[in-house]
Amino acid sequence: MQTKQTIAIIGATGNMGSAIAKGISKGNYRLLLKGNDQAALDALVGDIKTKNAHADVDTAVCPADASWEADIIILDVPFSAEAEIAAKIREVANQKIVISIANPLNESYNGLTTASDSSAAEELQKLLPNSKVIKAFNTSFAADFNSPVIDGKQSDAFIAGNDEEAVQIVSEIVATAGFNPIAAGDLSVSRTLENMQLLLIQLGMKNNYNWLAGWKILHH
Amino acid sequence: MHELFFESFNTKVQLTKEEELQIAKYLTPKKLRKKQYLLQEGDPCKYVAFVEKGALRSYSVDEKGNEHIIQFAIEGWTISDLYSFLTDEPATYNIDAIEDSELTLISKTAHEELLLTMPKFETFTRLNITGAYVAMQKRLTSIISSLSEDRYESFNAIYPDIVQRVPQHMIASYMGLTPETLSRVRKKMVGR
Repeated sequence: MQTKQTIAIIGATGNMGSAIAKGISKGNYRLLLKGNDQAALDALVGDIKTKNAHADVDTAVCPADASWEADIIILDVPFSAEAEIAAKIREVANQKIVISIANPLNESYNGLTTASDSSAAEELQKLLPNSKVIKAFNTSFAADFNSPVIDGKQSDAFIAGNDEEAVQIVSEIVATAGFNPIAAGDLSVSRTLENMQLLLIQLGMKNNYNWLAGWKILHH
Repeated sequence: MHELFFESFNTKVQLTKEEELQIAKYLTPKKLRKKQYLLQEGDPCKYVAFVEKGALRSYSVDEKGNEHIIQFAIEGWTISDLYSFLTDEPATYNIDAIEDSELTLISKTAHEELLLTMPKFETFTRLNITGAYVAMQKRLTSIISSLSEDRYESFNAIYPDIVQRVPQHMIASYMGLTPETLSRVRKKMVGR
């Protein structure tokens, strides 16, 4: 697609938010960044523009305004803050793609806070019934965005959602960031994806992966 | 957010509050800044855009790189590459914002679902497309048969708001005139 899409990143100064912003700034996108720390946000914009003078990136005044202008919204907020942010953007996110990257980890990182028959993405979909919620980027660590090729292999990144066209659009964003996109299924597959990251975090802490690790499906 | 859209809808087909809420579920609110594209030639046109605030234009670009403006749209108007929207063929027009704008977009999928589920939306769509057809025929006739003076004069009479808001070179492009010719025509009009 030639027509430049505007992507709002809410929580852009978080680890993941800023990694995603940097990772996709080389694509044919206009980025609208919103975070609570204005100085950090300005520094992020400066950093992106230093590395790529052609990057189309700007800051937004509030989540609602960023989402109103956006075609696609990426939420980098903890699962516990989803309800609050959803209320702010519900009206302007109507019919738009909203990417859920959250993993609803408990405080001790040994379980998820969602019920076993739900996920952070499905809970977000309930809060934004007329938006196209898509699960993506949740099985990658922030450091992976600097080197999506780990040990010579391109890391896979899984995408789940109920709207086929939206899944396709998000797959292109994931590919722009350097990952190998894999459409994993409908939004309920988010339960598996969120548990996969729980496992990766647990293994990472046990085996000292140093927060640089990812998933790769081996196949013929 | 969609106030003008529903106002316009209600002048064509009267909706109940419940029906408005039902339709609102399918609408995409979108802000566009000046000079940003809603659509670029070659992409499928996925939306019909209703202008709540601001101004847009659609245009094609010839082999020499000259822009030919097809249509303007200000508050209360609708703009799209209808050919591409209805046939799924790549768009032959570009659509961009002449001013910072607020739009109510209806996507292709939303459009189709509403047509199937809500007869009033079908009536609204029929009236819109009929209106677009009549406007296109008028424009075609004017281009083929009117003198440039008459063309500008009648455009000025029917759409004074657009003449006020849009740069003269864009009006010239819409009329199929060079900016120099348009300037001559305007001077003549003032002289009369």
